[in-house]
Amino acid sequence: MDAITRIQQLGMPRRNNELWTFFPVAKIPAQEYACACDDSEFSDLIEKETDFAALLPIAKGAKPMVQNIADGASEMAMLKCNNDFGHTVLNIGKGAKASLEILDNKVVHEIAAERFDINVDEGTDVEIFFANPANDVPLRFRHFRITQAANSTVRFSSIERGNGITRVSIDCFLKGEGANFEIRTLNKLNGTSGSHHRLHIYHEAPRTTSTQFSRNLLDGKSNASYDGSVIVEENCTGVNSSQLVNTILLGEESSVSVKPILKIYHDDVECTHGNTCGELDAEQMFYLVSRGIPKETAKSMLMASFAKELFQALPDTPAKKRLLQQF
Amino acid sequence: MLSIKNLKASIEDGTQILKGINLEVKPGEVHAIMGPNGSGKSTLSKVIAGHPAYKVDDGSVVLDGKNLLEMEINERANSGLFISTQYPTEIPGVNNVEFLKMALNSKRAYLGLPEMGDEEFKKLCEEKMTLLEMDERYRDRGVNEGYSGGEKKRNEILQMAILDPKVSFLDETDSGLDIDALRIVANGINHIMSPEKAVILVTHYQRLLDYIKPTYVHVLRHGKIILSGGPELALKLEEQGYDWIEEK
Repeated sequence: MDAITRIQQLGMPRRNNELWTFFPVAKIPAQEYACACDDSEFSDLIEKETDFAALLPIAKGAKPMVQNIADGASEMAMLKCNNDFGHTVLNIGKGAKASLEILDNKVVHEIAAERFDINVDEGTDVEIFFANPANDVPLRFRHFRITQAANSTVRFSSIERGNGITRVSIDCFLKGEGANFEIRTLNKLNGTSGSHHRLHIYHEAPRTTSTQFSRNLLDGKSNASYDGSVIVEENCTGVNSSQLVNTILLGEESSVSVKPILKIYHDDVECTHGNTCGELDAEQMFYLVSRGIPKETAKSMLMASFAKELFQALPDTPAKKRLLQQF
Repeated sequence: MLSIKNLKASIEDGTQILKGINLEVKPGEVHAIMGPNGSGKSTLSKVIAGHPAYKVDDGSVVLDGKNLLEMEINERANSGLFISTQYPTEIPGVNNVEFLKMALNSKRAYLGLPEMGDEEFKKLCEEKMTLLEMDERYRDRGVNEGYSGGEKKRNEILQMAILDPKVSFLDETDSGLDIDALRIVANGINHIMSPEKAVILVTHYQRLLDYIKPTYVHVLRHGKIILSGGPELALKLEEQGYDWIEEK
């Protein structure tokens, strides 16, 4: 099956589709699919795909860019899409270490969509990160399909602070025993911007672990959503999964929506989720200002500390350095 | 220097906590304020600092000719007021030294002075940390983050030493301090003190006043200063408590 046919089967995203519950679907322009490339090698994948954003780059003709990282290699790479639509396939070999920064595509018009298929072999350690600068891309989709073998670790970290609307969707398959997936996302939004995350983490092997940690600083009329599902399959003993979303609403009209879903088909697991929402701590503000620091500066200091805390637990890698530099 | 006249203040539900405080503080003086729990001592410090939980009903607090109550919170601090609260707030993620530098340079900007550079600030910070026998751990941690009660109080005095205020209002600075820490903190306060500055100490115990000799001692009760005297008053309070004042 090709991507265009699959999109036609699924139809355009609607709010009553649980993958798009919080997304302003009316912002998605109608699409024309006259230039699709040969996507036959992905036909099995396409047939199972249910997310419009995952299919869109393929349907729009994005030619897959395949990169292989050899077994045991240690690589730092920057990934950049030079067109409105991009498709990257990454195969990371056994025991490899990789630090992958996704750069922002500045040549974007009305809509941009990128798809990343990342296949992680045994014992690898991979970090994927991006810190998007404030830009005017009206609508941007990024979809990640991550497949992890035994004892691999993937750390995904991102900062969203654009002026448009972004949606990051991740399907992560923890297929090998001891595989570990971590995601840390920060949304620092203002105006009418929006940032939406949709995750499905499939624990398909024993002793797999996942950590989801998201923080939002929302000003103006901005809005963010976090729709995170954890699925623990049968016989997956010793799974450990956590999800935490912390939001500070700085604007009177800013908003956040959080939807945790846990589908657990095995008893011996530990899965938690939590969500907090509030304002900047009034006592902390008072303390800083009472030392002579102007109110706006104090506010910035507290916002920066809230954001930095998210990334402090990362190991000392290029991702940590780059992300902490943003504050 | 600092003149508090008929200061009345309430909390949100309308309950009046301060019911007409009058206090004159001159340069070089140390004033000790004592009183039972709930008498309004901590409220007094917070009202002067401008804490938003309190509403000023009446009165004035004038520091060197400027009514602090008409100023923003940061302007009060930059004009020379320093308030150390009983329970210093923890601010994880805001580095202690960066915070101190930001506070100092905010004051310097307010006073029209050039920003203090990294090297000069580092030297100043080292000097004050040595005075207070503080180790390097204070540099790398968040503001008061994970500090013990005593460490927090010592960090407050470090801030006081660096910001060099005209008037310092120290609310129960001696609580949470062991014997050695009490001596170090008291010595630090004495070192910072000068004939041009003043200190107001809130305390429950004579032990702090053994190190920092007060010029005057005041008793605050039910939101008013009901008795003032010399250092001997603190000794009498230590021996006899507060009930005799009511009897009087």
